[in-house]
Amino acid sequence: MNGSNGTPKSQSTPSPKTFLWIEPCIAVFVGGGCLMLGHTQLAATPGQGFIFGALLGLLFWCGFGKRANSPGAGLIWGLGFAALVWLLIPAGLLPLVNKTQRSMSTLSGARSHFPELVAYLVLLGMPLGLTLGIFGDFRRSGVKREFHWARAIVVGGFAGTLSGLVFSRWMYEGEFYPLLAGLPQLNSQFEMVGFHFLVALLIGASFGLLFQTDVRGLGSSMGWGLGFAIFCWFFGPLTLFPLLSGAGVDWSADQGTALFGSLVGHIIYGLILGVIYAAIDRTWLKLFVQSDPLNREPEGPGVNVLRSLGWGALAGLAGGLAAGPVLLATGVLPKLAGFGNGFPGVRGFLIHLTVSALIGMMYGLLFRNEGSSLSVGVPWGCVFGLIWWYVGPMTVVPLILTGVADWSANAASALLPSIIGHLLYGAATATVFLLLEHRYERWLLLDPRNTLREQRRMRPVGTPAPALWFFALAMGVLLPVLLG
Amino acid sequence: MKPYIRRTTIGIFAGALSSPALTYAIRNPVLAFLCGIFLGALYAASLRSARSAYAENLMTGAALGIPLWGLISVVAIPVSAGQMPGWNAEGMREHLPALVAWVLYGALFGLIYQAFSDLATARWGPEAKVSVAVPSPSTRVVILGGGFAGMKTAQCLEKEFQKDISVHITLVSETNALLFTPMLAEVAGSSLEPSHISTPLRSSLHRTEFVRGRVEGIDLAKRCVLLEGVASPDGTSESRQISYDQLVLALGSVPNYLGMPNVERRAFNFKTLLDAIRIRNHVIEMFELADREPDASRRAPLLTFVIAGGGFAGVELAGALNDFAHGILADYPNLNRDEVRVVLIHARDCILPELSESLGRYAQAKMEERGVQFRLNARVSDAHPGIVVLQDEEIPSETLVWTAGTTPSTIIKALNVEKDKRGAVKVDANLSVSGRPGLWALGDCAAITDAKSGKPCPPTAQFALREAATLASNLAAHVAGQPSKGFHFDSMGALCVIGHQTACAELTVSFVRTRAIRFSGLFAWLMWRGIYLSKLPGLERKIRVLFDWTVELFFPRDIVQTIDLK
Repeated sequence: MNGSNGTPKSQSTPSPKTFLWIEPCIAVFVGGGCLMLGHTQLAATPGQGFIFGALLGLLFWCGFGKRANSPGAGLIWGLGFAALVWLLIPAGLLPLVNKTQRSMSTLSGARSHFPELVAYLVLLGMPLGLTLGIFGDFRRSGVKREFHWARAIVVGGFAGTLSGLVFSRWMYEGEFYPLLAGLPQLNSQFEMVGFHFLVALLIGASFGLLFQTDVRGLGSSMGWGLGFAIFCWFFGPLTLFPLLSGAGVDWSADQGTALFGSLVGHIIYGLILGVIYAAIDRTWLKLFVQSDPLNREPEGPGVNVLRSLGWGALAGLAGGLAAGPVLLATGVLPKLAGFGNGFPGVRGFLIHLTVSALIGMMYGLLFRNEGSSLSVGVPWGCVFGLIWWYVGPMTVVPLILTGVADWSANAASALLPSIIGHLLYGAATATVFLLLEHRYERWLLLDPRNTLREQRRMRPVGTPAPALWFFALAMGVLLPVLLG
Repeated sequence: MKPYIRRTTIGIFAGALSSPALTYAIRNPVLAFLCGIFLGALYAASLRSARSAYAENLMTGAALGIPLWGLISVVAIPVSAGQMPGWNAEGMREHLPALVAWVLYGALFGLIYQAFSDLATARWGPEAKVSVAVPSPSTRVVILGGGFAGMKTAQCLEKEFQKDISVHITLVSETNALLFTPMLAEVAGSSLEPSHISTPLRSSLHRTEFVRGRVEGIDLAKRCVLLEGVASPDGTSESRQISYDQLVLALGSVPNYLGMPNVERRAFNFKTLLDAIRIRNHVIEMFELADREPDASRRAPLLTFVIAGGGFAGVELAGALNDFAHGILADYPNLNRDEVRVVLIHARDCILPELSESLGRYAQAKMEERGVQFRLNARVSDAHPGIVVLQDEEIPSETLVWTAGTTPSTIIKALNVEKDKRGAVKVDANLSVSGRPGLWALGDCAAITDAKSGKPCPPTAQFALREAATLASNLAAHVAGQPSKGFHFDSMGALCVIGHQTACAELTVSFVRTRAIRFSGLFAWLMWRGIYLSKLPGLERKIRVLFDWTVELFFPRDIVQTIDLK
């Protein structure tokens, strides 16, 4: 990406010698120290915790150290790394080699690994990623990086506060403060609402500060919002708020189940935050950066938008056809269409296809600047499908049918079958969308102006997007399975 | 080695090496191995290679392992075993160990693929890029003219040949923009900004080489086009030659003054954007001069505007100038409304011969109501300073606009090909010039006969656009050695604005017995605006024109002079 989009001119640069020594040492000490603190969650002694953490810290530095070139990128790489390590080592391979470890194949076995997951994310991924990211920022201070503090804080803070309004109905009734779950009730509703918006503002501003250079369009911003919201749930309601209230940290799966509604609330909040942030940020860029004739694109936005809507509709139809059998077999299809069981058979399927096409148009609109190849587009499509599982069956459909969104772990458990259909839908939609786009672009790329645009769309090596895909998909799918 | 083959081969090896991880998810080792290879090849083919992207491939592979787990372990394997998929909560928890296997497979695959890819790069060098270095084209298509016909032909040829770089397309045009002529009268009438109805040719074309220049001549024997030279600082100029294999003549037409040199010297043309700008500025100039002229008899020729020709162009221009001239009177308090005259001269007894007579009569009546004067069955025979001479009348006027006749471009005249009595190039039903292989013609400069009805096709933009699509298709078929098709198009009708919020429309409808539905008045005017706005190329231009029209609803027309006419 060029500077016009607010992203770094270059992602990798030769490290000064000092950082070559400092960074691995920091990785070792941060990883070791943090897991030593959380040794009880890992059923290990402090010494074992330190050694294990130090090894993982070193491993992270070796594999991802250069990628952690900003706090935001570091955080996402850290979270992806921590989730992968948790899934492969304590939850995956250890039960195979050590029969005393509980396998994930039973409910109690799977839930018994939940505290480790929180420990890996909060005590390993976050501190490692953030610390190395901060150092990475210093390391490449010589590289021109277009970061605007004011834009990040103002846009992020505003978007965060605005997104906080989504819960106003429940807050007004004094029932539910998803962002404040884990905190004891404050003295008055006024204080609760005030604190809610303070937290929303802080999350929004940190979102802007951390991800300004990574967020590119509305779609990727939703993806980052999803990932950041899931992390905030682990960090806030599960960790920080109990600590602040003096209640002590409880990382058990039971506590996770109890706070599951807050997780969905965080996710919905994160998605809205992502969209609003990107919308304001893109408008800012459009008004003050891209309106500059030097940064103009050869084809105007209107043409691209209309074309993307058309391709999105076709791709959505294909996605609907691909996911249809799964959704039909799981009995979710009529509900997905939002009409209960009132439209069975062909009519129900036609409604499903119509809804699929509309959602596909949304995909086209949101993700038209993201996927430049299938290996990039399909993961974004899966993230989009997952987002729709949280937005559609979990939130919008119950709201339409009953006026109430049930975000409980039981409701999520009941809707689990359709999650695979949604992932399939997203993957198929993204694939068809890209094929349609490529069919059009393959000859347009003979135009050098379009070739330049295509190059700008490609994220450079070092982008944290792959870590985000893994973290969001793994947590988005696993948490309802574990906690439901 | 081709990039796709190389990537797929690496993907197969990486998939094979990673497949042991899948044995925990797919119990059958052979199936796990085959599945690993297949998915590896599929994933690798979709990748864009980058050096040392270990972390990215590791995470992407792991991420894609999750939907694959859902698709294969949770759904496909139970279904293939004749069981219900285990997609309820309990079932999915049972499959969690398989999820670990899929994530491990994905992560391993990502790492191994990248390692192999880097090894291959070190051993055989980077992937061969898809050839951007264009070999010299085997077919050179040159289009002369950047009007509707030429521009549309270029666009259609781009779509026909797409990625085929063996065909090189060149468009030669005197102007660098496509003028949307249906709205030209509104520019002369000051209700639209001139550039808003022109679309840059360079922006609209993607793989066509655009050359702005005036054609000096065509050498059919040597198969080359001669362009007028560009003057250098030392005063010399060198012509440029463009060779072709296929030449498309879309040079349009020029005004035909029927051998009246005085008229040619004194009249304004109404073909180009510059003509419309000149007319608008001239009208304002006349008002400025008349405003300071105390003698009424000397004011009369200044405030009389004569338009020769009662076809679409003349009628629309007369309507637009009438509105403009009467509208700006408020800014010239010394001038009287009755002094402003717009006179339309037409050689027949009814204007708008392109429409049915009833609509022509309607248009005349409406325009007379609004102050336009008509001289029917009359012809301009001469023009002198301050006087337009008809056969039996002299009209005192400083303004004469000529829309009474056109003839094909002078380049066509010099061309040694068969022509009709109008001077247009005769073409076959497939739009190629008979006896001249590789020569094609369309639009106003061609005499085209409909392949189905046998009737001559009128020289209108509506037909030119359809001719362009057929010509491009036939040219592509010719290059590919395939048979071509004849041109056929049924006119969809015609629309004409005759004044403020008033228009005439005649639409051809195949299922109506009379085959034509006529509209007039406000509805026809709304139809005109809707249809032509949708036809105007480019969303940006549409928005600009829509904005101009909206501004015009609330504010008077602009009387700022933009060019110096002296």
